[in-house]
Amino acid sequence: MDFTEIDHLLDLARLEVQPNEKEQIAQDLSKILDYVEQLQKVDTTGLEPMNGGTFGENVLREDIINPQKSNFKKEGYFEVPPIF
Amino acid sequence: MGMIQELHQKLINHEITASQLVSDYFKVIEDKDKDIQAFLVLEKEKALQSASEVDNKIQRGETIDILEGIPYAVKDNILVKGIKTTAGSKILENYVASYNATVIQKLNEAGAIFIGKTNPDEFAMGSSTENSAFFTTKNPYDLTRVPGGSSGGSAAAVAAKMSSFALGSDTGGSIRQPAAFCGVVGLKPSYGAVSRYGLISMASSLDVIGPFTETVDDAEIVFRTISGKDPMDSTSHNISSIPDSRFLPAQAGQIPNSKIGLPKEYFIEGLDLEIRSRIEEVINKIKNNSITIKEVSLPSTTAALPCYYIIMPAEVSSNLARYDGIRYSPLSNLESPITSLHDLYFKNRGEGFGKEVRRRIVLGTYVLSKGYYDAYYKKAQRVRRLIVNEFQKVFEEVNFLITPTTPTPPFKIGEKTSDPLSMYLSDIFTVSANISGLPALNLPIGFTKEHLPIGLQIIGPYNSDYSLLQIAKFIEELL
Repeated sequence: MDFTEIDHLLDLARLEVQPNEKEQIAQDLSKILDYVEQLQKVDTTGLEPMNGGTFGENVLREDIINPQKSNFKKEGYFEVPPIF
Repeated sequence: MGMIQELHQKLINHEITASQLVSDYFKVIEDKDKDIQAFLVLEKEKALQSASEVDNKIQRGETIDILEGIPYAVKDNILVKGIKTTAGSKILENYVASYNATVIQKLNEAGAIFIGKTNPDEFAMGSSTENSAFFTTKNPYDLTRVPGGSSGGSAAAVAAKMSSFALGSDTGGSIRQPAAFCGVVGLKPSYGAVSRYGLISMASSLDVIGPFTETVDDAEIVFRTISGKDPMDSTSHNISSIPDSRFLPAQAGQIPNSKIGLPKEYFIEGLDLEIRSRIEEVINKIKNNSITIKEVSLPSTTAALPCYYIIMPAEVSSNLARYDGIRYSPLSNLESPITSLHDLYFKNRGEGFGKEVRRRIVLGTYVLSKGYYDAYYKKAQRVRRLIVNEFQKVFEEVNFLITPTTPTPPFKIGEKTSDPLSMYLSDIFTVSANISGLPALNLPIGFTKEHLPIGLQIIGPYNSDYSLLQIAKFIEELL
């Protein structure tokens, strides 16, 4: 992996790294990418990518007003504790 | 009887007061922690205060619950309100938690007594606790060796009896591996069984909070308390607390009608010989107790670690994008002037994150970037589904799986820090359970000739946590 690619990635990740470390990162990354390359050989035909850790359902709640949150009304506004 | 139940009996029988109990634990901490360095923060005064409240209850003749008055430690990536929560990182060095994690809320309501935060690998990234920005925790069995990671501090605290139980988190093995290295029970619950609200996110589809305890009974008590559906975490759900009666007895002392599988891909060449032979001894004991043990196969086992090292860094790069170092870390040494906000982010993040964290963020950024997303991330997500399917299939043949937890006994401090890949390989047996969301437990089963702990891993089907605990208890009693 060359430095222009590393520089681009560091820019995306907003990480400032010293030049000597850039080389180390490039080497480490190459090594790790070589290792994970073996996934290309795994046969995944017909398999959908799995998103997330559970078996994907939306979690909904009843559409009722939370009583705790409706007590702050004052003259048509919501009164809340200071935030800043 | 587990430690927690023993202590509970002593409290209700007036053999010891909660204040004395907490004091005693702090005495052990004062004795041992200068060498082990498991703790980042201790809360002695508040703990003693809470303990005296429990004592008042007991004196008034009120009944107390099983965890009341019992001290516990918490990995520093879990928020405890009013206490510094650093995730082992400089970028959060000054962050004081603004709320309690749900698990902490639950333990507080149960009357358990928080005593301190334990040292983790930075942002839970590592297998040795050497990546903590502050210091390295030592293995209580050999101070020249690592306690494992990333929940090394929590594992060491329980192993050295500095706490009766502790909480950790497990994304790729970070509870089970240090539990094996420190000779304690470590439970990684099913994904979603325990709320992640208040856990500093590492990889959101893999992270799970779980307990370190001395015995399986204790692990069940803590798990029962901290688990459950939480409206604040929509990936959380309730699970049945009744062990599966098809293969587990209703009462203790009866032989379970379980079938246990030994996946052949886990008993490989590189497995340490002492670990292998000790596990074989335990397997023979199980066989002699009329439980069916058979060899099974999980062909995608070798794909699990590379799959993990694509998915996890991808999620990491996204989850850690929020840290800008502005509020909670000490200002960077402003040798070179900051020229823009962009520049500020660069410098704060570059300085605030350690090497391993930076490495994983860059790796994650790469696999998610245009042109590589399909080849790496999407491919890994397909492999993930393959692994999940394989486990489901194998659990049609058997009820549980037994494997080694780690390929080697605890290694020496500094041994694996120069080669990230060799460090990653410590998790080779643990990552599959995270990828597939399955519950898995480390059971301490003995020691090597050099008196280093050996662990055995038991894996169960999704949401079978209470069944898993039952079978683990059964095996524990055979030891």
